[in-house]
Amino acid sequence: MTAAGIRRPPPATVPAPAARPAIAGVRLAWLHAVSRRAPAALVLLAALGGLLWTALHWHWNIAGGPAAKQLLPLMIEAGAAAVIAVTTYGPFGEPERATGRWLPWLRLGAAIALTAAAFGALAAGATGGLLPGGTLALLRNLAGMAGAGLLSAVAAGGAFGWVGPMAYWLVTESALAAGWTTPWIWPARPPHDRGAAICAALVFAAGAVAITVRGARTSARE
Amino acid sequence: MTAVTDAPHRHRPPRAARVVPLTAARLLRVELRRNAMPWVLPLIAALFWFDSYRPSTGQPPLWVLRTFWNMGQGGTIIDFGPFVAGVAAWMGSRDGRRGTFDLVTATAGPRWAAQLATWAATAIWAVAAYLAFVSVMFGVYAGQGVQGSPPWWWVAVGAVAVTAFSAAGFAVGAFFPSRFAAPLAAFGGFLAMVLSSQTGFRSPSGWALILPTNSNGNYQPVSGIFYPYLPDLPIARVMFLAGIAVAAVGLLGLPPRAGGPWPRRAAAVVMLAGVAAAGTGVGLADTARLGSHGMVIPALHDAASDRPIRYTPACGHAAGVPVCLNPAYRRYLTDVTAALRPVLAEVAGLPGAPARVTQVAGMYSSGTGEAGPPVTIGGRPPVLRVPLDTLATLPGAIGFTATRETTTQFADILRALAVHAFVGAGAGAGTSAQQAVQAALLHGAGLPFAAQPKLLAIARNGQGPEPGPAAGPVYAAARRLAALPGAARHAWLAAHLAALRSGRLTLGQLP
Repeated sequence: MTAAGIRRPPPATVPAPAARPAIAGVRLAWLHAVSRRAPAALVLLAALGGLLWTALHWHWNIAGGPAAKQLLPLMIEAGAAAVIAVTTYGPFGEPERATGRWLPWLRLGAAIALTAAAFGALAAGATGGLLPGGTLALLRNLAGMAGAGLLSAVAAGGAFGWVGPMAYWLVTESALAAGWTTPWIWPARPPHDRGAAICAALVFAAGAVAITVRGARTSARE
Repeated sequence: MTAVTDAPHRHRPPRAARVVPLTAARLLRVELRRNAMPWVLPLIAALFWFDSYRPSTGQPPLWVLRTFWNMGQGGTIIDFGPFVAGVAAWMGSRDGRRGTFDLVTATAGPRWAAQLATWAATAIWAVAAYLAFVSVMFGVYAGQGVQGSPPWWWVAVGAVAVTAFSAAGFAVGAFFPSRFAAPLAAFGGFLAMVLSSQTGFRSPSGWALILPTNSNGNYQPVSGIFYPYLPDLPIARVMFLAGIAVAAVGLLGLPPRAGGPWPRRAAAVVMLAGVAAAGTGVGLADTARLGSHGMVIPALHDAASDRPIRYTPACGHAAGVPVCLNPAYRRYLTDVTAALRPVLAEVAGLPGAPARVTQVAGMYSSGTGEAGPPVTIGGRPPVLRVPLDTLATLPGAIGFTATRETTTQFADILRALAVHAFVGAGAGAGTSAQQAVQAALLHGAGLPFAAQPKLLAIARNGQGPEPGPAAGPVYAAARRLAALPGAARHAWLAAHLAALRSGRLTLGQLP
């Protein structure tokens, strides 16, 4: 009886020396994604895409003009942005910050990857009918609201990151009804409007930079 | 030994009976202090100002119009409810997220009681904030001299709706403890309100009246000014929303970990009571019928609510004719007298010319806008009865459209309606002869022929497609009549008004 053989790992599990950093990087990204519940977020984003498809296919519209027809798709986009924002919540707090050298890049990567996944899911959902503004407006609106969510996660904590996109949706609803056309209410502008695209991109960039540098705020209330 | 038996006996409550309320109070206090709701209240306050208060300031200063969006169409509930649901879900998911289920299940008290304390603290914060924000908004309205009476029943509906959102959100968090519980509860809240608006805008009757965003046939300008707001529908809504809250709270106590058999049985009873209350509310709303001044639910209706509000009219004069309005409309008295002066001067001395102008109450219609009786003339001496609340043309911005209703347009529409009543045209456009005389009289009152088709279309149907030009046989006859000298026109009208009003006069008989 000797334990010598047990300490030796099976040959198949030993990676080649050159491949180790790459695998470690992938594993780190995967662990970060899992700690942020990214798989569950992807499921929810797919469900929101399905909801958009259903809403467009069955014409779930509010009575009113073109502005009213935007409300439901915008709300689903806000829901997707809220899901992205909530994934920034980290359960490990200070230890993770102290030891995670790659943490800022992981946060940035997760935010961008989830935004891209949300766009994909909603674009697929948009095939269910006529989406007001089309895919270009969807990308602009979703990116802007995701930026609002990331900013609110930095300000209020990851667990409360959802309040940003939801509040933005409510403000947009009121502004659309009042006929506002400021570019900061980007859904109120046509899909090819440059000012609205710049404003939405700025908000997304600000959110991405803030979440990369600062991370979601950790609060005792969480 | 005797000393013990002879000592006066003090009736002290059993120890447990005293300790339980004290413990519950301490638990509630701890939950109030540790609650996440206060953190979200500044954001809700900002949204409340932006979405509920700000759009209302463009409405005429009457309570029922100022609060049409934020109370009648549930705007304050939309601003509050989903956020409250989200935060409540976060509070409800606390044990699950922290993995302390086993720890708290092993405590002496039932788990359900502890959850109730957490939910109660969340609901207390939310409802207190709702009432505080609404109080401030109403205080500002009162400071602005808004007339009529506040819609207190709708405030009660809003408060109960916030409670229902908190209970439903808390249940979502308790049963699905995850970081996604809060956004999903908030999203679900918004989705429910949007779909409720979608259904409400289309449904003037039936079960959909239970939806707190539905203003069809139940929130119109006659209320709070001529008649009290009918409480029937708000009572049904309170039952429905309170039922949802109670059912959600009862649902929390059903799982085995919530407590022993007795608490779970009690929770089942509570849940069933909630479902019954909500179902009863829906059933009552389904029986609602449109009355002349609101939605009447026979099982809830109190005849005392039908009594008109007493008032002393505010009066002025136009061309020597007294013009009297409800005091809530006092600030429009100058506009009304100025609008009617040229018309009253034009028809003075003719048979059926008004000896008095008085504002009357409109009647409820099944849509969102009021479409009661038009301006009419009747009685001896003739009285021009003007239901100002049906016009929706009071000077000032109209709702969300940001299109300011000018004093000039208001005056022109009022003149058109008064002349329309004078020629006896009734609810429709009138006969060709009546239309021609109406056009000539309006021209005499200062309204050019070219402007009349559009104005008459707005007066009858509101904003709509552009009508045709002022041409054709009707306007040709009107131009001929208007071209007559004043005395000749007056004499012709005096001789032919009776035939004109009865519809016997043809266009060819006009001079």
